[in-house]
Amino acid sequence: MRLFRRLRYWLQASRHQAELSEELEFHRAMLDDAPSLGNTTRAREDARAVWIWPWLESVMQDVRYALRNLRAHPGFASVAILALGCAIGLNTSFFTVFEAVAIRPWPVKDARRIVRIFSLNTHHMDAPGFSVPEFHYFEEHAHSFAGMIAAIDGGVHFGFEPFGKVTTAMFVDAGHFRVLGVNMALGRGFVPEENRVEAPEHVIVLSFTLWRDHFGSDPETVGRTVRVEDIPFTVVGVAPEDFLGTSQGREDAWLPFAVFPEMNSNQGWARAWVRDPDRPSLVVAGRLAPGITRTEAHAELDGLSRQFHAQFKLDPVRIVLADSTMMAAQPGGNGAVPVLALMFAGVTLIVLLACANVGNLLISRAAARRLEIETRRALGASRARIVRQLMTESVLLSLAASALGIAFAYRLPDLVVRRLGEAPPVLLKPDLIVLAYALALGMFCCLTFGLAPALHGTGIRKQRARLPLRSVLLAAQVAMSVVLLTSAALLLEGVRHFRTRDPGFSFRDVAVVSLELPAGSYNRARITDFTTHLLTELNGLPALQPFALCSQEPWSNSIWELPLRLPGEDRSVERAVTALAVSPGYFDVLRLPILAGRNFDPGDKANTVILVNQSMARHCWRDQNPVGKTIMFMQLPMEVIGVVRDTLDRAEPVFYQPLGVPFPPKVLVRTAPGVVEAVAATVQRLDKRVRTEAKPLSESMARAAAPARIGAQLAAARGVRARASDHWDFRRLRLHRSAANQGNRHPHGAGSAPATGDRARPRRHVASRSYRLGRRILRGRRRRPPAG
Amino acid sequence: MGTDKSSELLPGTLDLLVLKTVARGRMHGYGIAQHLKLLSDDVLQVGESSLYPALQRLLLNGYVEAEWGISENNRRARYYTLTPAGKKRLSEERKEFARMVLAIQKVLA
Repeated sequence: MRLFRRLRYWLQASRHQAELSEELEFHRAMLDDAPSLGNTTRAREDARAVWIWPWLESVMQDVRYALRNLRAHPGFASVAILALGCAIGLNTSFFTVFEAVAIRPWPVKDARRIVRIFSLNTHHMDAPGFSVPEFHYFEEHAHSFAGMIAAIDGGVHFGFEPFGKVTTAMFVDAGHFRVLGVNMALGRGFVPEENRVEAPEHVIVLSFTLWRDHFGSDPETVGRTVRVEDIPFTVVGVAPEDFLGTSQGREDAWLPFAVFPEMNSNQGWARAWVRDPDRPSLVVAGRLAPGITRTEAHAELDGLSRQFHAQFKLDPVRIVLADSTMMAAQPGGNGAVPVLALMFAGVTLIVLLACANVGNLLISRAAARRLEIETRRALGASRARIVRQLMTESVLLSLAASALGIAFAYRLPDLVVRRLGEAPPVLLKPDLIVLAYALALGMFCCLTFGLAPALHGTGIRKQRARLPLRSVLLAAQVAMSVVLLTSAALLLEGVRHFRTRDPGFSFRDVAVVSLELPAGSYNRARITDFTTHLLTELNGLPALQPFALCSQEPWSNSIWELPLRLPGEDRSVERAVTALAVSPGYFDVLRLPILAGRNFDPGDKANTVILVNQSMARHCWRDQNPVGKTIMFMQLPMEVIGVVRDTLDRAEPVFYQPLGVPFPPKVLVRTAPGVVEAVAATVQRLDKRVRTEAKPLSESMARAAAPARIGAQLAAARGVRARASDHWDFRRLRLHRSAANQGNRHPHGAGSAPATGDRARPRRHVASRSYRLGRRILRGRRRRPPAG
Repeated sequence: MGTDKSSELLPGTLDLLVLKTVARGRMHGYGIAQHLKLLSDDVLQVGESSLYPALQRLLLNGYVEAEWGISENNRRARYYTLTPAGKKRLSEERKEFARMVLAIQKVLA
């Protein structure tokens, strides 16, 4: 009640003041000639003080005074706010990413009770999951879990998406959203009837982003039909905005896993997958039942697994339970954290730099305000009171800068991501933690840049200042600028290097024609068939020569690996080697030299002869001539017939196979008028439903370099900012020449460091590291199509 | 307030006296001061600088209410009346005051 009355008084302060004055006047009038008892002004002030906390009023006074002061010096105020705001904005943007990756909890109910379940076996090293029958067996018999979930990932093509756009989808069990405790944004999750292996239903749950971007957040989306791989699916629900899935990557659609075979009819193994007890490809997790410990759950699953494997005469496996940190971008659950933390240190340096900048400005302002400060002291203001006044100005500055920074953080991460054209596996949206962080950062800055000048400026003036604060700040500034500019220059140099280095083949005049075969009607055999026909048809076009069909073009996102071993080695030492299936023209189109041996003949069959790159030759046969050697793929011996020069896009060991693998092929042609059209026409003649799209190969290259490029652009921006504010500062402070010269020399000097040969290596590391980091943050992990 | 007579009163006594005065009926500030002066044979001379803060304090706490009215000499004046909360407060303060006086007397006896 008191507070309420106080507030009402505040709201009508001027009326109350007038009333009090009138009342006192009345009192005075009634007294007539009688001596007044006390001072009327004092009475009014005291009466008012009953209602208003005096300290609050003096703070308001300070704020008003500070505002007036800042308005009187708009140049100073705007430069200080801009400098700080940009620094805080950059830092907060970074924190947004950091928070999303490292701090924000996984948005499922009680994530600590969810355990990820692995099966370790020697047979399927790369698939520590469970087969569909085994998952069903667990679900039926395990009592330690309140519910279990299972998922297998895969890309799908939506009918409404542009050509070739693969949407990351998870094929999940019916209980997925219920067990995780995710509240759907719209509609519902799946029900058990929809995921029956015998008769799956064509239903789909969309991610919030997909729903927003493609359906305009239409609440009527549930119940609508979307085409996935040319098969109609009914939308039953939309996941909430913060739920990005159960993998480290970002998921955009969920389907019942019983439809997986239908969606992947070109994968031979997928058809029998739902019934095969020896296909441990489901990622399984479970929510522990109340009161059950992880050890108890483990014991039960171990027993069940033994029974199951005995029943199907399979080798026993070892069951491992892990916490759910492996299932999403969770605290500590992401390898990007240390790298992010390091970059975070970099942007924090920028904030300190900005603080030093503004601190210096404030010192020069304090010198200009000497008269004002002395006057106030002479009028009886204590030093503490004046410091408080000056600090109020700093607080206002940093509040304004924080606001600017928050605005930055709302837009910047999104802009960067949009430029990259990929959706990150985390939700980049500042939340309350980020807001609090920006404010706290602002206050920290305020203390850093404001306190020292305030104390300095109000101190009793000595003949010579004992502590040359300006010089200290300036030295710190120059040092930090040098560090930042050096790193920015290295990054830029690295990216330039990355972009201009000869990739080892010619790509400027090469175009890639991608084909999209309707997955539903193209199985393994038909794809191989189609490829063979296309090759024959294109061979008949003399204008096209040279051309090539291949499984992946250079810089392609998809990576295909096959397990290889040398003859005589045990299967346990098999290593995954990157494979490319190419037609003989491949090396011609790209002008990629074959260093030893011969090219493929049209008659060469897949999995019989291969060409290897230099890296693989070195890796497997050291100094010996690899031509004529044999390498084992499963039970098949493959003969090495030639060695190809290493290329920059794939630095690892690579081998080339003749065509014959079930990938929709890419066509590589030399750019010339009519060539691309001729390919498209030929494809259309073979099958009207196949869609084609042509792009210059240099575009793939630019896309691959994008993460590093963006990183460098940011670095350059901050470097330029640091340098610009340096200049401003020097001008403003009119420091003596030597310091200015020194300061100017350093930033420029760092930008044009001589490129000597022995520094090429670290540079490349910087570039490739930032490139890799960019990819890691943006993709979460690389996807690999299953071996055919 | 240092030179005011009222400050020589026991702490909180002024509030009690004002409450008691207002309890007799609605009264403006000057009236309250006059009333105290008359009843105390000119001993309690309350100045504006103590009276009005005290009245504002009572208003803030909701013990009195104020409304504008016309005074006996036809001027606008603010009249105070006791609220139920004020009435309760008055009896509490009276008890407390009696206890205090008794205690002081015991010491002085």
